[in-house]
Amino acid sequence: MNDDARPDYDLAVVGAGPAGQAACLALPDGPRIVVIDEQLRPGGQILRQPPRAFSVRGWLEGAEYRRLKARLAAFESLESVEWLGGCSVLGAREAGEGWRLALSDGGGVREVTARRILIATGCYDMAVPLPGWTLPGAMSAGGVQAFVKSQMLAPGHRIAFAGSHPLQLLAADQLRKAGGTVAAVAFSQPFRRFVLKALGRPWTALTNLPRLMSVLLMGWRLRAAGVPIHFGRAPTAVEGRDRVQGLRLEDGAVVACDAAAFCFGFLPQSDLPRAMGLAVRPARPGGWKACHDAWMRASRPGAYVAGETTGVKGADAAAAEGALAGLAVAVDMGVLPLREAVRRAAPVRRARARALRFAALLEAVADPGPLPDRDLPADTIVCRCEDVTMGDLRAALAIGADAGGVKLATRCGMGVCQGRNCEHGLLALLGGVSTEPHGFTPRFPARPIRIGDLLAED
Amino acid sequence: MDGVDVLVIGAGLVGCAAACRLAQAGARVEILEAARPNAGASGANAGSLHFQLERRFLENGEALADQAASILGLNLLAIEEWRGLADELGPDIRVHMRGGLMVAETADEVAILERKVAREVQGGLASRMIDGDAARALAPGLSETVVAASHLEAEGHADPKALTLAFAAAAAARGVRLRQRCRVVAARPVRSGYRLTVETPDGPEDLTAPKILIAAGAWSARIGELFNLHLPLYPVALLMSATERTAPLLDPLIQHVGQRLSMKQAQAGNVLIGGGWPSRMRLDAAGRFDLDRPAEMLASSLRGNLAVAARVFPRVAELNLIRSWTGITAITADQLPLVGAIPQAPGVYVAAGGSAFTLGPTFARLLARRILDEPEERLEIFSPARFGHLNSFMGAADA
Repeated sequence: MNDDARPDYDLAVVGAGPAGQAACLALPDGPRIVVIDEQLRPGGQILRQPPRAFSVRGWLEGAEYRRLKARLAAFESLESVEWLGGCSVLGAREAGEGWRLALSDGGGVREVTARRILIATGCYDMAVPLPGWTLPGAMSAGGVQAFVKSQMLAPGHRIAFAGSHPLQLLAADQLRKAGGTVAAVAFSQPFRRFVLKALGRPWTALTNLPRLMSVLLMGWRLRAAGVPIHFGRAPTAVEGRDRVQGLRLEDGAVVACDAAAFCFGFLPQSDLPRAMGLAVRPARPGGWKACHDAWMRASRPGAYVAGETTGVKGADAAAAEGALAGLAVAVDMGVLPLREAVRRAAPVRRARARALRFAALLEAVADPGPLPDRDLPADTIVCRCEDVTMGDLRAALAIGADAGGVKLATRCGMGVCQGRNCEHGLLALLGGVSTEPHGFTPRFPARPIRIGDLLAED
Repeated sequence: MDGVDVLVIGAGLVGCAAACRLAQAGARVEILEAARPNAGASGANAGSLHFQLERRFLENGEALADQAASILGLNLLAIEEWRGLADELGPDIRVHMRGGLMVAETADEVAILERKVAREVQGGLASRMIDGDAARALAPGLSETVVAASHLEAEGHADPKALTLAFAAAAAARGVRLRQRCRVVAARPVRSGYRLTVETPDGPEDLTAPKILIAAGAWSARIGELFNLHLPLYPVALLMSATERTAPLLDPLIQHVGQRLSMKQAQAGNVLIGGGWPSRMRLDAAGRFDLDRPAEMLASSLRGNLAVAARVFPRVAELNLIRSWTGITAITADQLPLVGAIPQAPGVYVAAGGSAFTLGPTFARLLARRILDEPEERLEIFSPARFGHLNSFMGAADA
C-alpha cells in the first residue's frame, strides 16, 4: 500500500490495558479498530491473563480486580475490534493521512496503516542499580507479579521484597497466596514517612481510606503469616555467587533468599512516543511522560496518548484517560458530536481527578529519593546490557558529557533494551533532566527484531 | 591577546587529531566545539578502515576513477598512520587490521574489480584478486553468490566512539583547551589574524588567533559563510545499523563493489552494517537542511541495506537488529575531501568532506605541518584551491 491509499484502520490502539480497553469501549460502533499488545491476551500488566488453556481457581480475587475484570469482559466482547496479541510495535511514522506501524509477532514483520493512533503502553518497573542486581534471581516486583498472575508460578522458593513502593506489599501478598514464600518485605523509608505523607493530604487519605486499609490489611496478613516487614532499611546489595543467595539491608543484616524483588516505582513507557516525535516531559521518579491536551491528543496530528505512558497514575486514572481518548477520536472522526462527548466526558473527568489525587499521594509516599545512589561501589553495573559500571560512568561524567555523549563514550544504553534499564539512572547522575539535549536519541526498532524477519516482510 | 596560535573549530576526529599534532609541534591550540566532542559524523560512522578505492569512485565513470586513484597515495600513508595509532593512543581505540574484502557477485562486477585492483597495484597498494572460495576461506559464511573479491590485508576497523576522545585526551595532555557548548557565530579578519565571536553558556566572548582551522564536518560550509567564503560541501545523511552482540562471526571488513555495503564485526561483538544508504535530512525553521537534528531513517534504505548484507553474509539474517541510526557527513562536488589552506582567506584552513575516519588522522598530521608552514605537498590533490573559482568574488580582506 502506498502512503496515499486509504488506511487499513481508522484507529490503532497500542496496549490493551485499562486505557486501551476503555478507549475502545468509549467509541461508538463503526470505526475499524485494531488493538495491538505484546501479551497474547488483553488485560495489561494489571491483569496479565493466563493462557486460555489454563483454568485458575480464584484468579485475582478482590474488589479492586472486580471492576477491571468486568471492563476486560466488555472489551473482549466488542466485535468492532481486531485483536493482534503477542505483537510488538517496532516503530510508527507519519505516512499519508495517518500513521504506518511496523509490527512483529515473533514470526515475521508486517506494516499496518491507521488514520489515528492511540499509545496506551503503560509503564514498566524502574530498575535500580545495586551491587549484585544483575544476578539470576534478582528481578522487579512487577516481574514476580507477571509470573504469579499469568502462570501461577513463584519464581523462587524464598523471595525477599525491597524498595520504597507500597505495591510490593500487594506483590508479596499475591505471591504468598499463590504458594510462594516471602522471606521479608523491606521498605527504604521509615513507617512514620507513610503516616506523615498521608497526613499531608488528609482529604485524599480520608476518601481513599478503604484502599489504605486494604494495604494495611495486606501488611497485617503477611505479618500474621510470619513474614518480617522492615521499615527504614533500604537494600544495599544482592548477595550470591552465581545466583541470588541473600539480600543485604543497610544495617548490614542479610535476608536469606533465592530471589529478590525490587519495587522502587515505575517509568512511563516512552519508546514509541519519543520515536514518533511526540512531545514528552520528565516524569517522577524518572523517565518521560507523553504530553497531551484535555482530550488526550498528543503533540502530532492523529496521535493520542492515555494511561501510564502519560505518567504513572494507576488503573483507574488510566481507564478514565482511555475513555477520554476514545471520545476524542470519535469527535475527531466526526462520528460523535462534541456536545455529546463533553457530556459523556464529565463523569470520566471527575473519576480521573479523584484517581490522580490518590496517585499523587502514592507518588509522595513511595518517593525513592535520589537513585542510583551516588556512593555505589565503582564496580556496580548500571547498564546491564553492556556491563557499564558506575566507575565507567563517573569517568565519563568527569569530562562533562551529556546523556548522548556518555552513551557514545561508554556504551551505556547501547544494548538490546535501548536504555530502558539505565537511562533514568544516568540522567539522575547527570544531575537531573533540565539540561539539553534530553536523554538518549530514540532509535528504530523499539524492540529487537531478527533481521531475517524484517526482510521477509511482505 | 589570547596567546593562541590556532583556533580549531570542531571537536570531531579531525579537529581533535589536528589539535593534538599541532600541540605536539609546540603550537598553542584551542578547540571550539558547538556541542560536545565526537557528536557528529566522527562518532556516528561505523568505523571502517577501507583503503581500497571506494565503490563510489568507480560507479560514476572512468574520469572520476582517475581522479580518485590519486587518493591512493594518501591511503598508503593512512595505513602506516593507523599501524602506529594503537601504540600511540592505547588499546581503547580497538584497531583491528586483519583484512578487508570487496566482493563481486556478477561477471560485470568482477571486471570492475579487476580494473580497480590493477589501478591500485599501479599506485602501490597491495590489493589482490581472489576467487570466491578463497574469499570464503578468509570469511567463512560468506555467500556462495560471491564469485570473486579483492583482498587487502591492511583493512579492517576501529572504534569511532573512542578514537576522537583518545585524540582529545592526548591533545589535552599537551595543553590544548577544549571548550564545549561554544558555538562560533561570527568571524572577522583583524591585523593579528581573525577574531571569532563565540556563544557559550556564560554569554558571548571574542577570541583571536592568527590561524583558524575549520574542522566542523557537515557544519563546515556554514562556518565558511562566517568568513565570507563558499566551501563546496554538501551534507549527506547516511544510515548505519547494529545487530546484537554475538560470538566471533566475521573477521574481515566486507564491502561490495556493485552494491552499497560495508559490514564488520566490532570488537564488542555487534555486527555493524552500513555502506552509504541515504536518510532524509530534516528542515529547519528557515527551510534549510537542519544539521542539528538527527536525520530521518528511510525504511527503504534499511531494507535495502540489510538485504544486501544478508545476501552476502546469510548468517546476519539470524541476528537481531537492535539499533539503526543516522549520521550527517558532507561530500564535495568532486567527492574528494577538502583539506588545506583557503587561498582567498590567508590563515584559514579547512579539513572536511568525508572519508575522514579512515583518512582523518592522516589529514590531521599533514595539515598540521601545513598550518605550521612546513613544506607539505601530499595534500595538494585535496586543496581548496581547486574550487578557487567559487571564491573569485568572495574572501576575507579588509583587516
